[in-house]
Amino acid sequence: MKSFEPLTDSMFYIMASLTEPRHGYAVMSLVEETTEGAFVIGPASLYTIIKKLLKEQLIVLQDESDSRRKVYTLTDIGRQTLEADIVRRKVMIEMAEKGLKRGSV
Amino acid sequence: MGKTKYMMSAGLAFSEAGDMKKLRREALRGWHLKRFRCAGYELEKGESEDVIYSIDYRLLEPNEQDEYFGMFEIAGWTHVCTEYNMHIFKADRGTVPIYSDSESARDKIRRLAIPVRTVTLYVVGLMVLSGLLMKFTSGVIQSVSIFTFYVALIIAGPAVMTYAATFYHRWKKRMN
Repeated sequence: MKSFEPLTDSMFYIMASLTEPRHGYAVMSLVEETTEGAFVIGPASLYTIIKKLLKEQLIVLQDESDSRRKVYTLTDIGRQTLEADIVRRKVMIEMAEKGLKRGSV
Repeated sequence: MGKTKYMMSAGLAFSEAGDMKKLRREALRGWHLKRFRCAGYELEKGESEDVIYSIDYRLLEPNEQDEYFGMFEIAGWTHVCTEYNMHIFKADRGTVPIYSDSESARDKIRRLAIPVRTVTLYVVGLMVLSGLLMKFTSGVIQSVSIFTFYVALIIAGPAVMTYAATFYHRWKKRMN
């Protein structure tokens, strides 16, 4: 299935922010705050990815009453996709952590 | 109105970064981008400014404009001018780039290529059609089609090259 392709880091951060309804600016600042500025999403990337997630029905437009601050949130497929990607990322991290532990003995 | 001058574009499909750097150099000398003009840009004289320029391609519906330009503004990018699907922004040096990842940057080139592809297809189609008419007709229709063929041929050359350039950039982006 197409929707279970690995997510890029930017897609992952944006979807993680949209587990609750948020507008684009809020996504941008939440990611920046959480990562303490280590990961920033440029405006053109943010807009492109939001459009892409909408098209793939991973997120949905929830409130467009403020045309500058449209509010989006994850769909059920979006939640499943994010969960699948968390599992994929956990495997990567566990492998690296175990490897480092063994290597340091 | 202030003093203005014209700066030619090197062709966005070929040298987008070159155009943006040149705009920056002009801004440092006090010449600021005002709008797109006939295969180039119109600059207006003002104070020297230490800014960087970026361009994005996206055909916006009227109800998409507020959100799109709003996101750039919040991120520190001031909208300068728009022509059809091209939007130029400026920002202070050190501002987060408008594209922060390579996947969405590749999408940008694909969007740039859409109008280029349409023009290329029409012109090449016209060339083939008038080429056939030229071969199989006579008299006035033949004269008209010979004329059309050569006009289409002149436009088709740069159109095909521009379209090829968008493929080259996409391929290059995929490599790094």
